[in-house]
Amino acid sequence: MDTTIRETKKKSWMRWLWGNMGGHRVLYVTAIFMTIVYNIMQLIVPYFSGRIVTLFEESASSGIPLSDNLNEFILNLSLMVGLTLVRITIVYFTCMAYEYVSQHALYKIRNFLFDKIEHQDMNFYNEYRTGDLMTRLTGDLDAVRHNVAWVIKSVVDSFSLFLATAIYFFIMDPLLAICVLSITPLLFLVILRFKKASAEKHRILRDKLSGLNTDVQENISGNRVVKAFAREQYEKEKFNRSNTSYAEANMDTQRTWLRYFPAIETFANLLPVILLLAGGMFIINGRLTIGEYVSFSMLIWAIANPMRMLGNIMNEFQRFAAASKKVMEIYNSKAGIVSKENAIRHPDRFKGLIEFDHVSFGYEGGAVPVLRDITMKVEPGQTVAVIGETGCGKTSLIHMIPRFYDPEQGEVRIDGINVRDYELTDLRHNIGLATQDVLLYSDTIEGNIAYGDSSLSSDEVVKYAKYSAAQEFIDKMPEGYDTIVGERGVGLSGGQKQRISLARALAIKPSVLILDDTTSAVDMETEKHIRDSLNELDFDYTKIIIAQRISTTKYCDKIFVMGDGRIIEEGTHKELCAKGGYYANLVALQMGTNLADVEKFGKEAI
Amino acid sequence: MAKRNTFRVDETLQEEFNMRHILLASKYIKRYLSRMLFAMLMSAIAAGSALFAPMITQQALDHAIPDKDTKYLITLVILLIVAFVVSIIFVTIRQRIMVKVSQNIIFDIRKDLFAHLQKLSFDYYDSRPHGKILIRVVNYVNSVSDMLSNGLINTILEMINLVFIVIFLLITDIEMSLVVLCGIPVLAAFMFFIKNRQRKAWQMVSNKNSNLNAYLQENIVGARITQIFAREEENAGIFADLSQDCRKTWMKAVTYNNLIWPGIDLISVFIRAAIFLFGMVLFGTGAKSVGVIIAISSYAARFWQPIMNLGNIFNNFMNNMAYLERIFETMGEKVTVDNKENATELPPIKGSVEFEDVSFSYEEDKEVLHHVSFKIDPGMSVALVGPTGAGKSTIVNLISRFYDVDSGRVLIDGHDISEVTLESLRSQMGIMLQDSFIFSGTIKDNIRYGKLDATDEEIIAASQKVCADHFIVNMTDGYDTEVKERGSLLSQGQKQLISFARTLLSDPAILILDEATSSIDVQTEKALQKGLDTMLKGRTSFIIAHRLSTIRNCDLIMYIDDGGIVEAGSHDELIAKKGAYYKLYTSQLDDIT
Repeated sequence: MDTTIRETKKKSWMRWLWGNMGGHRVLYVTAIFMTIVYNIMQLIVPYFSGRIVTLFEESASSGIPLSDNLNEFILNLSLMVGLTLVRITIVYFTCMAYEYVSQHALYKIRNFLFDKIEHQDMNFYNEYRTGDLMTRLTGDLDAVRHNVAWVIKSVVDSFSLFLATAIYFFIMDPLLAICVLSITPLLFLVILRFKKASAEKHRILRDKLSGLNTDVQENISGNRVVKAFAREQYEKEKFNRSNTSYAEANMDTQRTWLRYFPAIETFANLLPVILLLAGGMFIINGRLTIGEYVSFSMLIWAIANPMRMLGNIMNEFQRFAAASKKVMEIYNSKAGIVSKENAIRHPDRFKGLIEFDHVSFGYEGGAVPVLRDITMKVEPGQTVAVIGETGCGKTSLIHMIPRFYDPEQGEVRIDGINVRDYELTDLRHNIGLATQDVLLYSDTIEGNIAYGDSSLSSDEVVKYAKYSAAQEFIDKMPEGYDTIVGERGVGLSGGQKQRISLARALAIKPSVLILDDTTSAVDMETEKHIRDSLNELDFDYTKIIIAQRISTTKYCDKIFVMGDGRIIEEGTHKELCAKGGYYANLVALQMGTNLADVEKFGKEAI
Repeated sequence: MAKRNTFRVDETLQEEFNMRHILLASKYIKRYLSRMLFAMLMSAIAAGSALFAPMITQQALDHAIPDKDTKYLITLVILLIVAFVVSIIFVTIRQRIMVKVSQNIIFDIRKDLFAHLQKLSFDYYDSRPHGKILIRVVNYVNSVSDMLSNGLINTILEMINLVFIVIFLLITDIEMSLVVLCGIPVLAAFMFFIKNRQRKAWQMVSNKNSNLNAYLQENIVGARITQIFAREEENAGIFADLSQDCRKTWMKAVTYNNLIWPGIDLISVFIRAAIFLFGMVLFGTGAKSVGVIIAISSYAARFWQPIMNLGNIFNNFMNNMAYLERIFETMGEKVTVDNKENATELPPIKGSVEFEDVSFSYEEDKEVLHHVSFKIDPGMSVALVGPTGAGKSTIVNLISRFYDVDSGRVLIDGHDISEVTLESLRSQMGIMLQDSFIFSGTIKDNIRYGKLDATDEEIIAASQKVCADHFIVNMTDGYDTEVKERGSLLSQGQKQLISFARTLLSDPAILILDEATSSIDVQTEKALQKGLDTMLKGRTSFIIAHRLSTIRNCDLIMYIDDGGIVEAGSHDELIAKKGAYYKLYTSQLDDIT
């Protein structure tokens, strides 16, 4: 639906996980190997306790005191205890190794994903919702961790136990082994069918989880509106729907498992039954001794239990498969706006010449045209204003400069070079933008102002707060600059938030400063203060201001009037007044005078 | 208000898991108690049926096979199959019941948690990152599902199992059983050592995950800010630190978890060794028969199996308790603004609003309003002006009872608003906030939020009144255009117009506009004014704005500063007075030059 080049490379999950174990692969392989070792040990240990029991029995039947066989008794006893000690030590360290590697992979993938989404362009954020992204980085990713830590381990557990026992059976009596194992292909068949049936269920379940997260996320963010309209009941009903559909998806997934569970369980239980039937017949035929039969039956659990486990493991694996698809989608996603190869490094300040050369742009791949053939030029050090109706494209226009979006046609240049040719970080480091929708972080006020440059000293923070007329109200706060403002700056008025956002933009000493209607919620007096202090800044910069008020625009070197994605008028305040067009009308409206007076003033002033 | 929490700071747990929590948990379980008991019965039948298996096998080995009685053998095999099938059927029934029960329990918990969140007032949401609330509702609740359903049943079943085995042990031989039971105090000491450390460790895990979630949420929402300040690297560093915290605390917690199982195994092997040793000595003296020793040693093996299983359940329990106590903490969060016990419905509002000596502070030592009194007659339009941070928003927040006053009263039509239900109060008010929140969904849905049963015609009429119609119809799908999360495809001004239409549609008796038009251009605002005028007619309204054009026509202008009303009157009166408003007004009067 969008222009983002998002190639979801078909990379197998195994290679993907393997790649993310980097540095700990040897440990992981060792853990797998040790899993096989302790499973085999688990089969061996009972042999020694069995021997001890036999010793007791022999002694009872022969009448020879047990103390005569003391050495063998002690040997078997020590082997039983000793091997168990070794085994549980191996089990412990193996489990920890799985945890360690899985945490490492989780850590690596999670950080990679975070980095990835941070570099995504706006199209990406229009497509993926916050709650959805959060689910992918938490719940879905946890299923990936679980796969590394538990699912794979369990597969090794089951197969090593199964194979070791099967081999032992074959050595003991191939025919009986074949009889007993004859049922296993059927069981695998059932598990494969279950795999197919559950894939879709798990996919739905992951989607529902994401939906639930998205709904709650939005409700929490919008809690003020919910309360303002007393819509708690409506929200609860809405939530109940997603809560119900999530619970139902969960039940559906579990029920799918339960449909196959009886079959799998029956097959697993048939193993000892077949053993009894076939073994019994063999004993009757004289092919097998009772003793041999007993050693088979003592180990039949080591074949049956893994079979039983496989269904469960497959269920967990399908959960992982569904979740990992969602994770890998982000993992392999590509941002549409990145530095090009051999991008121009420009760590120094720009001179500040900004040119738009026949720029056209539209959202959703041009389906919604926003900018139409814009050509404009801002000289270094100039202050220009962009003015126009709500929704005419002002914000989209300025978003072309730091490359939040790239134009479909034409180009934007700074100092004569296309912005696309600059290294993205260098470009943005040079641009200070105070956005319209002020977003502050749950951090101290100082931390928020120093957001663009954490090395900023406290004195400098205060300095920029003063420039932005924020000093006074910050000082009045109980903890001053250390006051923590909540997420999105709750607790601050609109005007206060705007001033902090302005200070934040100034604090990086940008060579291009863009103010997107940043003073709409401050009173005129404060605005004047800000305007004056912006002239005092100790660095040179080009300034682009989106504004509604004539009081702001009239001081600008040039004014661009936008209408429906085009620049319809440009010139100085006086020129535009004289022109008697849209701008002059606006002036008349705001001054409460008539158009003729405005025109007259303009013509005289020129 | 408590100090605001951030992603850097662990939330302190107010209340450790205690009796109250157990009662709360049992409340959720109680509803499904009969079903759970039934499921347990099913399990018991299944286990009982499976018990026949060794007996049948024994029969075969002792009689059918030595007697070479093939027919009998086949009969026994069929019996064995029957025993297994019966067992599987009952296990499946139990599982099916429990799937439903466990999903119902978490559904209920989540429902109640969400419902409680809806009751909590602004200060709850304002004092912590939203990611920390979110993780509780979704991730944490998911984690505890199994613990309260299957975990509980299995614990009981394993306990019963254990009791039976102990009885069998004691019947077989008391002295030898004591050797086996010796393991219990050792195990208890071991568990005691682990338990508290494990609890703390899992609490840390939940804290760190919560921090990570908080940071993640802020960064997704604030991606644009990160990018404009090119702070991706630094943020990735912070995220990696938080991620590292999660990893470290997790590793520590699982260290304890992974100790449990080997620990039990270790004790059990020593006990078995002890049985053999004692057995050898006692057998030598002829005190014990070989049969007893073999029986005891096989029961001992069976004795440890349920304990192993209990160990697993215990691990789960420890892990999930850290989540459950957070969930219950949120549920126990005091609702600061709530309906009083005998709250009555506020009758249809006529529109008189009165502040009676109202004082208010957000934080304890910092009063925002001092002894404010005023009375507004029905239908009046009131403008609140004054410097930012003076308390204008606070006044309108108190009218809608977003906060409760510290002293004094707020009266609407003579009713103290703290005595009426919140629903009846707020549903009659239209409040347009500074931050015009747009929900994901269509434009139509967003406007309809103001009146859920509004027809399309009403929605269009409202949009036309606020001059939003022309830009909406120009969008790809008109009123059905999806606006994405937070209306990211709309300009700020457009968002304000949509939320304006939403407020208008709700047809409020009292209208509050808190900097509602700041991002709308002057021309649109001018056109909007017409709509606004008809909207204001007959309704009491409070308007906070900086634009004089909006303020000038109001019936009453109150100049607010330093938490009080400095002056009040009509535009003309205040101009004549030449006070604070006059100064403000003249400073804004623009020169053309």
